[in-house]
Amino acid sequence: MPKGIWIFVEQRDGQIRKSSFELLSEGRKLADQTGEPLVGVILGEGVESLVKVVAAQGADKVILVEDEKLKNYSTGAYTSALNQVIRKGEPQAFLMGNSAAGRDLAPRLAQRLGVGLASDCTGIEHDPEKFLVFKRPIYAGKAFAYTGTTVRPVVATIRPNTFAISSPDESRQVEVERETVTVDPADLKAIVKEMALATSKRPELVEADIIVSGGRGMKGPENFAILEQLADVIGAAVGASRAAVDSGWREQKFQVGQTGKTVSPTLYIACGISGAIQHLAGMGSSKFIVAINKDPEANIFNVASYGIVGDLFEVVPLLTEEFKKLVSA
Amino acid sequence: MNIVVCVKQTFDTEAKIVFDSQGRIDPNGVNLIVNPYDEFALEEGIRLKEKFGGTVTAVSMGGARAQEALRTALAMGADKALLVSDPALNDADEWVSTQALAQAISKIPYDIILAGRVAIDDGSSQVCVRLAEELHLPSVSTVVKFSVEGNKATAVREIDGGTETLEIELPVVLTAQKGINGNEPRYPSVAGIMKAKKKELKTMTLADLGLAALEPKMKISKYDLPTPRQAGKKVPGEPAAAAQELVKLLHEEAKVL
Amino acid sequence: MDEIKNVSLEMKDYIASSGAETLSWCMQCGLCTNLCPWRLVPGEVSENFNIRKMQRLGQLGLEGFEEENILFACVTCGMCQINCPRKVEIIDNVRSMRNTTVGAGFLPPHLRPIAGSLHANGNPWSGEREKRAAWQNGLDIPAFTEDTEYLLFVCCTSCYDTRSKKIATSIVRLLKAAGVNFGVLTAEENCCGESIRKLGDEELFQKLAQGNIDLFKRKGVKKIITTSPHCLYAFKKDYPELGGEFEVMHYSEVLAQLVKEGKLSFPQELARKVTFHDPCYLGRHNQVFDPPRELIQSIPGVEFVELDRSRNKSLCCAGGGGRIWAEVPMGERFGELRITGAVEKQADTLVTACPYCIIMLDDACAGLEKGDVLQVMEMSELLCTALDTK
Ligand SMILES: Cc1cc2nc3c(=O)[nH]c(=O)nc-3n(C[C@H](O)[C@H](O)[C@H](O)COP(=O)(O)OP(=O)(O)OC[C@H]3O[C@@H](n4cnc5c(N)ncnc54)[C@H](O)[C@@H]3O)c2cc1C
Ligand SMILES: Cc1cc2nc3c(=O)[nH]c(=O)nc-3n(C[C@H](O)[C@H](O)[C@H](O)COP(=O)(O)OP(=O)(O)OC[C@H]3O[C@@H](n4cnc5c(N)ncnc54)[C@H](O)[C@@H]3O)c2cc1C
Ligand code: SF4
Ligand code: SF4
Repeated sequence: MPKGIWIFVEQRDGQIRKSSFELLSEGRKLADQTGEPLVGVILGEGVESLVKVVAAQGADKVILVEDEKLKNYSTGAYTSALNQVIRKGEPQAFLMGNSAAGRDLAPRLAQRLGVGLASDCTGIEHDPEKFLVFKRPIYAGKAFAYTGTTVRPVVATIRPNTFAISSPDESRQVEVERETVTVDPADLKAIVKEMALATSKRPELVEADIIVSGGRGMKGPENFAILEQLADVIGAAVGASRAAVDSGWREQKFQVGQTGKTVSPTLYIACGISGAIQHLAGMGSSKFIVAINKDPEANIFNVASYGIVGDLFEVVPLLTEEFKKLVSA
Repeated sequence: MNIVVCVKQTFDTEAKIVFDSQGRIDPNGVNLIVNPYDEFALEEGIRLKEKFGGTVTAVSMGGARAQEALRTALAMGADKALLVSDPALNDADEWVSTQALAQAISKIPYDIILAGRVAIDDGSSQVCVRLAEELHLPSVSTVVKFSVEGNKATAVREIDGGTETLEIELPVVLTAQKGINGNEPRYPSVAGIMKAKKKELKTMTLADLGLAALEPKMKISKYDLPTPRQAGKKVPGEPAAAAQELVKLLHEEAKVL
Repeated sequence: MDEIKNVSLEMKDYIASSGAETLSWCMQCGLCTNLCPWRLVPGEVSENFNIRKMQRLGQLGLEGFEEENILFACVTCGMCQINCPRKVEIIDNVRSMRNTTVGAGFLPPHLRPIAGSLHANGNPWSGEREKRAAWQNGLDIPAFTEDTEYLLFVCCTSCYDTRSKKIATSIVRLLKAAGVNFGVLTAEENCCGESIRKLGDEELFQKLAQGNIDLFKRKGVKKIITTSPHCLYAFKKDYPELGGEFEVMHYSEVLAQLVKEGKLSFPQELARKVTFHDPCYLGRHNQVFDPPRELIQSIPGVEFVELDRSRNKSLCCAGGGGRIWAEVPMGERFGELRITGAVEKQADTLVTACPYCIIMLDDACAGLEKGDVLQVMEMSELLCTALDTK
């Protein structure tokens, strides 16, 4: 009988990623609902100190696999290791964050295990027959599919920010199981040569999850600096309306709109943009739109989820400060 | 060099989602396109051929209409096309899709298999990583840049907050991010469109591939639509208070940060 | 240098089979290229696009005409066509040559969302179909019934674009003021399909047009008033091919007639110096030149001046032929020439009578920062201002 809800605890340089905290928090709730144990799986080298963090976040048990081949993430070695511990421990469900690593690792692991995988989920519910049913946005969020299976284990990746992080309980006791694995050399065919963490590099406009855009209301090229500061705090790309491009303040490749780039980020922050139809054509499908405009009648407010009527030169720096507080919290 | 490109036909980005009487997504009357990421993969496949010689085969799994997607691939410059089509694949999950595609591709010589990073419809980002596993190949996902020299490829992929450079021996599966290698998918010439009409486009069923019907691992129990976008809120108050409230709403209500 | 290419009979036949029936009539005199508005602006499109040469390539079945800057450059203004000594149907040839790629499923990338929205929503602006008639809320516009004389067909742009909605509401006000018996079927209508047909997507055009024709017939529509000259063109010249025969008029024609009959007048004096931009699809394509002028001049106090290029020689705003969705760098936009022309005439108001022209001219006016000396207005908006008695 398979047992337990297992969470893949993703760490980079000994730091547990935020999405793993989210999953442990939600996993705890599911474990209580279903009466299953919650298990955290940590892969790495010299990461024993993470055990108590995972325990405090709600795990009943931690599986710790330490090996020099697991020090840094590589698809092959991680697949190999997880395949072994999962076959041995037979969990009901194996959940991980839908990070770049999760997206890479989960399908390969699921295929090796010969099981199903629900990707990029935004909800999990307990189900009497299938144990867990996963909600997945499909068609770029235009619909949802609810998917589940009786094949064990079920693997799922969960979109970051789906679940809230509960406060840790340092007093929790945890059982630790150390596992050793052998990494198949065939799994090491792709060799990581270099990893460049570009903290200041802004994401590509068309792929960015958050975009901050400026229009004619920016008044001049130098003022885009305040948008860039905001963008860097929340990892956003910076876009522009055609008016800003025509004025020579931004390059054409940053133009959002019908004759510019079509974007559909989770969050689009429009500053000093009136919301002309050609602009909306390029960003109207964004999940959330925030408008900052001093004209309360501006058309952009008709599509905005949230709006602030005010002078952007006053509002944007204040927003940046607020975001800073949130991000560092 | 032999190149295989996986091409999925998807709903137009503008398409509306409507359910049929059984509550499933209704493709009737919907305009279909080549998955945009797959167009980037095609472009790279054709460029590899132009550089090293060889054959580009476009492979798709889907209904009869998916032939249009393959004709697009042929007009852009692919040499051959293969459609895997079988009514038994109507409820395919990612595992089933992978088995069918892997079986089809295993019959074609390949050095590089290219695919999109994600299909914009079902959007699981699974099929081609699974495919690599099934074919015992290494894979690199979300590739932004790559080059090939001899029997080695160097690929740069996106990771959270940066990039990673990998070196891999061929054969390999690469999934394309938009703008890979800085190229835009080509617009075919009229001559290309005319030639495409004469190129080979083969269709195979599961039986042709020597496969029996496959039981999916995952079952979709229902579909639904998001609640329509709420009428917007203007956050009131002095700038400082409004900014504070806005960030709170984004965090707690919209859950975007 | 152009590279040497092989003449292909097959390609020639393929182009001909796409409908370019009069391509072979062209004797390569080059008049068309010289009259083309692209000669008036600098830049890449202007350097690449030569209509005579494009047709020559088509005649011979030579590659090279399908490059985006060539094949999709023509704004279908008709300047060349009305002057061609051989009566070549140049615009038909353009749309047929576009069909050689578009018909096979290849629209230039920036046009795909346009076609996608037309397929999914029945309008090119990604507006939800359910909201097509939302602008009418609270305006008390009668629905078209069997007893209604005119169907008012409102352009998609004016159904969805906030700026353009003012055109639709102004026209409604004027028709009501004149006591015209009209009604709407807006919620059930599709885009007329004029522009997508010019872009070469014949299949999509037919789908849209057939939907409208069936609707009009089902509801017993006989006479149609259009707000846009593009719809006027589609209904008059394209729909009969599909069996849709209606009596179609642009709103300016209807209103001008009513003014003549004394059923509509403008009591409010307007001290404005007004000039008029002839929309290609109203003027050159449908030969409606006088009604807008009569209307504008019936407003007391208005001083009317003609632009240097007017009536049959009017200069296109660059919004036709699908170019309303094309990016062109500043300095290469025809609309800028129109704005400059109007400012030179010292007009304070540039009036036109087409929702597309309004988009292009507004854009040029803002780009040139001439908003403080020149106001761009749709004719219906100007007429409405003159309707108000203070
Ligand atoms: C063929 C064609 C293609 C086009 N394609 C595109 C396209 O791809 N993308 C695009 O964006 N546009 C496009 N346009 C242009 C579009 O029609 C609009 O002109 C343009 O989007 C306007 O840009 P804007 O909103 O920045 O400027 P404006 O419309 O001038 O709006 C500026 C806004 O800033 C506000 N503002 C001013 N100062 C402040 C302040 N201190 N604080 C807060 N708010 C302030 C004002 O209230 C106003 O609402 C296209 C037009 C044409 C004709
Ligand atoms: C009618 C219908 C019913 C379905 N029923 C179920 C169901 O019951 N259970 C369930 O779990 N799922 C179901 N699905 C979803 C189905 O599993 C996926 O469409 C399929 O597995 C592909 O996954 P993906 O779209 O997420 O592709 P991704 O993995 O996101 O695609 C990545 C890349 O893989 C390649 N690729 C993907 N699919 C193909 C393909 N078909 N041909 C060629 N290349 C391809 C492309 O290069 C693509 O860019 C159904 C889909 C449809 C249309
Ligand atoms: S004006 Fe007429 S005949 Fe002369 S080149 Fe142009 S199309 Fe040909
Ligand atoms: S219709 Fe107008 S834009 Fe097109 S070729 Fe003729 S003159 Fe030039």
